[in-house]
Amino acid sequence: MKKFITMLMLAGVLCLTACGSKEKVIEGEGQTAQSGEEGQAGGSGKGYTFSANGITIGMDVDAAPILEKLGDPASYFEAASCAFEGLDKMYTYSGFEVDTYPAAEDKDCVSAVILKDDSVSTPEGVAIGDSRDKVVEAYGDGFKEENGSLVYEKDGMKLSFILQDDAVASIEYRSTVLDNQ
Amino acid sequence: MEHTIDRNNKKKAWLRGIVSAILIVGSLWLLQRLLVPKYVDGIVEGAFVAEYYKEEKDFDVIFVGDCEVYENFSPIVLWEEYGINSYIRGSAEQYIWQSYYLLEDTLRYETPEVVIFNIQSLQFDKSQNEAYNRMSLEGMEWSMSKVNAIKASMKENEHFLDYVFPILRYHSRWSELSATDVEYLFKTKKVSHNGYYMRVDVKPAEQVPEGRILSDYSFGENAWKYLDKMTALCKEKGITLILIKAPSLYPYWYDEWEAQVEEYAAENDLRYINFLELQEETGIDYNTDTYDAGLHMNLSGAEKLSVYLGRILAEEEGLPDRRGEAELAAAWEEKIADYEAEKAYQYEYYGINKTVTELK
Repeated sequence: MKKFITMLMLAGVLCLTACGSKEKVIEGEGQTAQSGEEGQAGGSGKGYTFSANGITIGMDVDAAPILEKLGDPASYFEAASCAFEGLDKMYTYSGFEVDTYPAAEDKDCVSAVILKDDSVSTPEGVAIGDSRDKVVEAYGDGFKEENGSLVYEKDGMKLSFILQDDAVASIEYRSTVLDNQ
Repeated sequence: MEHTIDRNNKKKAWLRGIVSAILIVGSLWLLQRLLVPKYVDGIVEGAFVAEYYKEEKDFDVIFVGDCEVYENFSPIVLWEEYGINSYIRGSAEQYIWQSYYLLEDTLRYETPEVVIFNIQSLQFDKSQNEAYNRMSLEGMEWSMSKVNAIKASMKENEHFLDYVFPILRYHSRWSELSATDVEYLFKTKKVSHNGYYMRVDVKPAEQVPEGRILSDYSFGENAWKYLDKMTALCKEKGITLILIKAPSLYPYWYDEWEAQVEEYAAENDLRYINFLELQEETGIDYNTDTYDAGLHMNLSGAEKLSVYLGRILAEEEGLPDRRGEAELAAAWEEKIADYEAEKAYQYEYYGINKTVTELK
């Protein structure tokens, strides 16, 4: 019997701890994504960043201080996922949109910045309407070409230039945290 | 004499070994039961797929698809208004390969007259989220359909064995365990109405964003492959396949996507109903008929859509009115009672005043 109890305890401990060190992005039922840069409250973030009115916006950083500095959006939309708790939120400002995802109970992180028109440009000087050559000149040739887009990956984020007729039709900064769920 | 004692000792050792093995396996099974999500409150969508197996499987209509079917159509209304016996085999963000294998799974038990598939999921060419995979697949009973559904759904970081032994996936849930996990260790609770998920609250659709520019509007090869398989399976079994697009305003439904579905439906001689284009005919009012700003219908919206769809199924597809079948009618009476009870509960919960007549 002692042997059985020991084996059972061992099996239980193994089950509970076997993958304990493996970081899980989602757990159980109350599913939220973990932010890539825990606790970062500024605008720096990972990889390429966007800048508007002197405010730097990076991916996977705490959205609250950024949104506070940006002020009231021109429009706001929130979308609950099919089954998870928390809301994906979209804040639209003049020329660009900031999207967030729930990273913790009281914390949203930036999931994307989407440039909407040519009134804004990337810090490297590319705007909607610019040519493919200008993108390559500004960002180099380390891109992946995906369905007519030039995609630059850096530190767990993607910067995509969607091209139509060889001109930039849309620019998107996206976190890849949600891709790994 | 010594030989006999030796043999008895060997027997005892074997017996001890077998009993120990049974106890260990039993304990692990118990631990697994405790750790897996129960989906009986809060996020209940993970329980939908399994509920089907408890039904008397004699449905005329089976819906397959994502939240755009299980939140937008009410089988209760289809029964009450037209005597159509239907069930929704939907789950959260159900990908098209999961819809296909759920249909294949359903056909192990019955052959409905009509299958209705919501085409929203054509936009995905591979699974997007492990948690959604779990909610669609875990509730399936084991069969080759489930095995193939898992294989078609797994993301790179997933393992087939984790579906066979869910304890491997949920071992770290021990810190989230609640009284519900103990209460529903050996039982479950009905959380849907023939697969329909009810919400009565209202949140008008405002400031719904336009779709962002995509680099490619073509549906992927894998998505098409499973739509082809679904079409072929229905044809083989003599089932009428109807494609629908529920009237959800978000995620955005692109004109380019619409054109591809219309072309496919025409080529394959399938009826395709895009409810986004039928606002006037269905009577959907986005100020009152959605509970989350246009993503999903609330009860009022789902009932309007069901009345519209039911007329097509009854008058144009010729589905029979089965309200005269005593046994079936009795089963539906119970379901209607549950439906009305939840309706009343939710109206009270959300603080919505309804008169007794309105509730009926």
